Amino acid sequence: MSEGIKRRDFLRVAGVTGAGAGLVGCSTEQVEKLIPYVTAPEEITPGVATWYSTVCGECSSGCGVWVKTREGRAIKLEGNPNHPISGGALCARGQSALQGLYDPDRLTSPMLRGADGHEPIPWEEAESLLLAGVRDAAPSVALVSRQAGPTLARLEAELMAGTGGQRIEYDAASEAPLREAARIVFGSNAIPTFDFPSAGIVFSFGADFLGSWISPVEHTRGFARASAAEEGGGKSPFVFIGPRLSLTGQNADEWVPVAPGAEALVALAIANVIAREGGDAGSYADLLQAYGPETVSAQVGLPVETIEDLAARFVADGPGLAVGPGIAAQGANATAANVAVLLLNAVGGAVGQTLRPGDGHLSAAASPAAGLAGVIDSMAGGEIQALILHNVNPAYTLPPGFGFSQALASVPFSVAITDRLDETAVQADLVLPDRHFLESWGDSNPRPGLWALQQPAMQPVPHFDSRAGGDILLGLAAGLGQDTGAADYQEYLRSAWSDVHAGLASEEPFETFWRGALRDGVVELPAEEVAAGELQAPDRAMSFDAPELEGDGLALIVYPSDRFGDGRSANRPWLQELADPVSKIAWHSWIEIHPETAAELGVSSGDVARVTSPNGEVEVPVWAYPGIRRDAAALAMGGGHTSFGRYADGRGANPMTLLPPALEQTSGGLVHLATRVTIEPTGEHRGLATIEGASDQRHRPIAPAVELEALLGGEIHEEEHAELYELQAVGGFVPVEAEEGIPEAYPLEGARYGEYDPEAAPRWAMAIDLDKCTGCSACITACQSENNVATVGEDQVRMGRDLAWIRLERFYETVDADIPGPVDIRFLPMLCQHCGNAPCEPVCPVYAAYHTPDGLNAQVYNRCVGTRYCANNCPYKVRVFNWFNFSEVPEPLNWQYNPDVTVRSGGVMEKCSFCVQRIRQAENRATLEGRSVEDGDVVPACQQGCPAQAIEFGNIRDPESRVAQLSASDRTYRVLDVLINTQPAVNYLRKVTLHAVEDIHV
Amino acid sequence: MKNRRYVLLGVVLGIMGIAAPAAAQEAEPAAGEAEAGLPGQPFDFPHDVHAGDNQIDCQYCHFSAERSMNAGIPPIANCMGCHAFVAGSEDPGAIETLRGYAERGEAIAWDRLYKVADHVQFPHMRHIAAGVECASCHGDVQEIRVIEEVNQPLTMGFCVGCHIEQGASRDCTVCHY
Repeated sequence: MSEGIKRRDFLRVAGVTGAGAGLVGCSTEQVEKLIPYVTAPEEITPGVATWYSTVCGECSSGCGVWVKTREGRAIKLEGNPNHPISGGALCARGQSALQGLYDPDRLTSPMLRGADGHEPIPWEEAESLLLAGVRDAAPSVALVSRQAGPTLARLEAELMAGTGGQRIEYDAASEAPLREAARIVFGSNAIPTFDFPSAGIVFSFGADFLGSWISPVEHTRGFARASAAEEGGGKSPFVFIGPRLSLTGQNADEWVPVAPGAEALVALAIANVIAREGGDAGSYADLLQAYGPETVSAQVGLPVETIEDLAARFVADGPGLAVGPGIAAQGANATAANVAVLLLNAVGGAVGQTLRPGDGHLSAAASPAAGLAGVIDSMAGGEIQALILHNVNPAYTLPPGFGFSQALASVPFSVAITDRLDETAVQADLVLPDRHFLESWGDSNPRPGLWALQQPAMQPVPHFDSRAGGDILLGLAAGLGQDTGAADYQEYLRSAWSDVHAGLASEEPFETFWRGALRDGVVELPAEEVAAGELQAPDRAMSFDAPELEGDGLALIVYPSDRFGDGRSANRPWLQELADPVSKIAWHSWIEIHPETAAELGVSSGDVARVTSPNGEVEVPVWAYPGIRRDAAALAMGGGHTSFGRYADGRGANPMTLLPPALEQTSGGLVHLATRVTIEPTGEHRGLATIEGASDQRHRPIAPAVELEALLGGEIHEEEHAELYELQAVGGFVPVEAEEGIPEAYPLEGARYGEYDPEAAPRWAMAIDLDKCTGCSACITACQSENNVATVGEDQVRMGRDLAWIRLERFYETVDADIPGPVDIRFLPMLCQHCGNAPCEPVCPVYAAYHTPDGLNAQVYNRCVGTRYCANNCPYKVRVFNWFNFSEVPEPLNWQYNPDVTVRSGGVMEKCSFCVQRIRQAENRATLEGRSVEDGDVVPACQQGCPAQAIEFGNIRDPESRVAQLSASDRTYRVLDVLINTQPAVNYLRKVTLHAVEDIHV
Repeated sequence: MKNRRYVLLGVVLGIMGIAAPAAAQEAEPAAGEAEAGLPGQPFDFPHDVHAGDNQIDCQYCHFSAERSMNAGIPPIANCMGCHAFVAGSEDPGAIETLRGYAERGEAIAWDRLYKVADHVQFPHMRHIAAGVECASCHGDVQEIRVIEEVNQPLTMGFCVGCHIEQGASRDCTVCHY
C-alpha cells in the first residue's frame, strides 16, 4: 500500500464499493417471493423449531433421537435424553442421517429395467408389476430384508407366509456367532447386555464396542463413566486383546497384541487360571482343563505371566467384563471364540453382574449369512421365481464368490425396494424407491420391554417420488388377497402397538398412550424376570484353535468402518470428509500395516499397494500404523462402491472382494477373518488425504496426562503458575501485578479495551474431560450439521483445506505391537480456544476477528475480506478458510442447512463460534420469559452429541456452573497457555493413565 | 490491482446473499426462487383499510412477531376468517380474487419488500418485547394504501443508530453469526 493511502481511507473506499456491489446479492435486483401457507399447520411457527421424537435407523442399535425441524424441514438430529440407549447423545453416523434424507442420488421414481438400463415408470405400473410378478411366482418367492423393526419384520414374515415363500434377514456385519454362543453357554440365543459402568475391569477380545459393535453410543457412555477418573475416585482398567487397535483399542490402558484368531485360546487360558484358583466353570471344567496357560502360551506366544496376571486382576478388580471378539475377529472359529469369552465371564463371576444373558440387544443384527447363502442356492437352482430385496445390498457386501449376482440374473423377477440404484438394485428388474426413516413410520424394540416409535419428522422430500417399504408391502399383501386389517402402514403399526399398550396394563386409553409414545419417543414396559444364566453343558464340539487362513502373506483383518458401517452410509460428504477416528484419513480407503512391515515391503504411507488374496485384488494406499501387529493387515468395509452415488463411487476399495465365500460352520455367520494377503508396491504414490499434522507431541504440553497414583497423591498442583490459573479461572480479564515481559503480564493494560465488564457479562467457556473422550468424532459431524460447515473433497483435504471446525488430534505416546504392556494414545478435540488474549484478533485489518463482551472470539463473516492473517497467527490452527464456494451443494442437499447460521461463501475465514446462535437463542428465550440465562440453557452441538459426555459448556464466571466446577479440577490445563499466554476459554482435563507418564511441564 | 480487489469484494458479498439458505422464509421450497424485475404484487392489499380504518392489530395477521425471529405472513385461512363474511366495501373485486385463491387452495406469492441481508439475524420478538413500534422500521402502514416501497432501507447504519439510541448491544455477534 502506498504512503498516500491510510488504512481508514482504504477501508472506506472498499466499504463503499462493497456496499454497492452487495446490492446485487442482497437487495432490489432480485425479488424474493413470500409464500404463506394456505392454512397454517398448527404445530409450525415460522422461525421456531419444531421437534419430533423418532428412532435412528442408521444401524441396528435403536438410539432414540429428536429431530429438529424448521418450516417443515428436518435440519438436525440429536439424541433423545429420555431414551435409555442413546441417553441424549448420537454418533457421527446418526448425525449424518440428514444427508441420507437429502441425498441427491436418491431415486426420483420407480424404475423398470429395459434394454438400455433402468427407465422411470409411474407408481401404478410399478405396483401392478410387483403384484403380478409375486402372484405368478408364488410360492417360489423369497424376501431378503435387513434387520427391520419388529412390526415391519412381522409384516414381511406374514406376507411371505401368505405366499408360501420365505423371508430371510441379512446384514453384512452380523453377530450370528455371538448369538449362537449365547445359546450354547446360557441356553438363550439373545445377545447379552453388557454393563460397562458396573465393571471394575474390562477386557475386549477385539470387539470395537466404542466404534461399531452392537450399540456404540450406549457403550461409550457406560465405558466413559466407568473408566473416567472422578475426583478422588479410581479408574477401571481396560485391556484390549487383539491384533489391531481399533478406536476401542486406542482407548485401552493395556494392549495384549495376540495374533488374529488367537483370542479364543487366550480367553480360555485366562478362564483356566481363574477356575484353577477357585472359579466355578460348571460343566465346562473339563473343557478348560485342556487350555492351561502353559499350553496356550506355547501356542500363541504370550508369556504365562501375562495370562496369570490378567486372570488375577479380572477377579481382584472385579466385577470384570469381557467382550468380543466382534466382527473383525470373526474367523472360522467365531462361535467357539464367543463361547470362550462368555465362559470367561461366567468363570470370572461377571454373569448377572456386568453381563446379563437373555436380557439382550434384540435389535442387534444377528442373522447368519447362511440364510442368504441358502437363498442364493435356490435362486441358482431355479427354485425362486420372484425375489424381493428390501434395503439390502448383497451384490456389494457379500464376497463375490457366493455368486449372488449370477444367481440374481437367473431369477425371472427381482425387485429391489431401496432408496438408490445401488450395486444390487442396478441388477434388479424393478426398483421401488423406499422412504428414509425420517419420512416414514416404524418402531423398534431394542431390548426386552423397551419400545420406541419411529414417526415421520417431515413430509417426504418432494424431489423423490418415494413410498414407504411398509406401504408397498401392505399394498402387495392386499393385492394378493391377504387380510392385514390395515389400509396403510401407519394403521398397521397402530394396531400392532395395541399389544404394547396391553403390556403396559394401564388405565389410559390407547389414543392417550399413542400420543404419549410419540411425544416421549420411548415406552418402557415393566421388566420381566430374566433367568439367571446358568451355564449349560456344551452341546456340540467346537475347535477353539486359531483358524487356518488361506493364502500367503499377512492376515487380512476386515472390519466394519466406524463411519460407514458395512458401506450403507458411504454416499455422505460429512462422513467421507470426517477423518477416520483411527487413521485420520478421509475420502479414501487405506491398508493398515505395521511400520516395520511397511519398511520390509519397501512401501511407506501414501504409496499405492496392490493387495492380493486368493480371491481377488485391490489397489489402495498404505498407511503405516504402529497399532497393528507385524503379521497382519487391515482394510475397512464401506469403500469401493461402484453404483451408490456421486460421493461414494470409485472411492477406496471394497475388502469383501478379497474374502472367500466362507461361512462359519457352527453359526452360519460370514467369516471375515479368512485370508492372507500379499502386499506389493505399484510404484505409484498417491499421498494420504489426512488431517493429521503430527502423531507425536514432540514433548510439548498439548495433551498431557497424569498417572492415577500421582493424581490421588495430589502431585499435580503446579504452584508456580497459581497466579495465572487464578486469573484464568475468572475469565482472564482481571488485571494482575506482574513484571514486564513475563507471560503473566498479559493482557497488557492497553489491551483491555471495549465493553468488557466482568460483573455484567458472562464469559462463555468449555471444559473437555480428555479422560472421557474416546476420539469417536461424533462432535465433528454434530458441528458440521449445526453450523453449515461445508465439505471440500479429497484433493482439497490433501492440501489441508478442510473446513471442519473441530479437529480430533490423536497422539501416540506408548504403542507397542510386539509385547503386552501399557498403551497410551491421547485424543484432543481441538477447536477455537476463544482465547482471552487471542493472537488472531490484533492482526485482522478489518476487525472481522474480535472479542465479544461475553468472551467469544467472534468471526464476522460479512466483514472478512480473506487476508488469512488470523489463521497464520493462530497457534492452534483452528481457523479454516473457504477457498472456493464449498457451500454450494446439489439440490436437495442444501435443505440440510441450519437457517439460524449464515452459509459462508468463498473467500471467508471461519471457525468454531461456540454455537453463538444457540447462545443468542437462549438469551432471546430467557428475555421473553423475563429471566436470565441459566446454567444448562446453552448446549453447543458438540456437547449435545458427545456419547461420552466429555464436554461441558457455560459461564465460567458463575462458580456454580458445571463448567466452572469441572474446570476447578486438579487435572485442568489449557493448551500452550503458559508458553504464549493466550488465556483460552477451553479448559482440558488431563487424561488419567494407569502407568507412569512423561511429565510434560504445562 | 485495486479495482480487482473491489470486484472480488463485491462477488463475495453477492454470493453470500445467494448462497444463504432459503428456509428463513415461511415458505414452500419454491419460495427461494427469485424473479428479476420490480415488485409487482399479485393484487393490491390495502394496509390502510385493515390497520387504519378497521384498526386491526398488526399481530393479528403477522402472528409470530412476538414469539419468533419471523413476523409471519398471514395464511389465506386467516384472511378468510373475516372475508368469508366481509365482502369489502371499497373493492369487492379484490375480495373475489382472494376467495378464488382460497377456493383453489393456492398460496398468494407476495413479493418481498422488507428483507435484511442473509448474514443478518433479526429477532422480531426481541424488538416487540423491548417495545419497539412496528412503524419504526415499517412506517405508518395504516396510512398507506398499497406498500410499494420500503419505508426505511434496512441498512446497518439504521440498525446501529437505533441500538445506540436505545442503549442496546452493539456487539457484532448480536446480529451476525
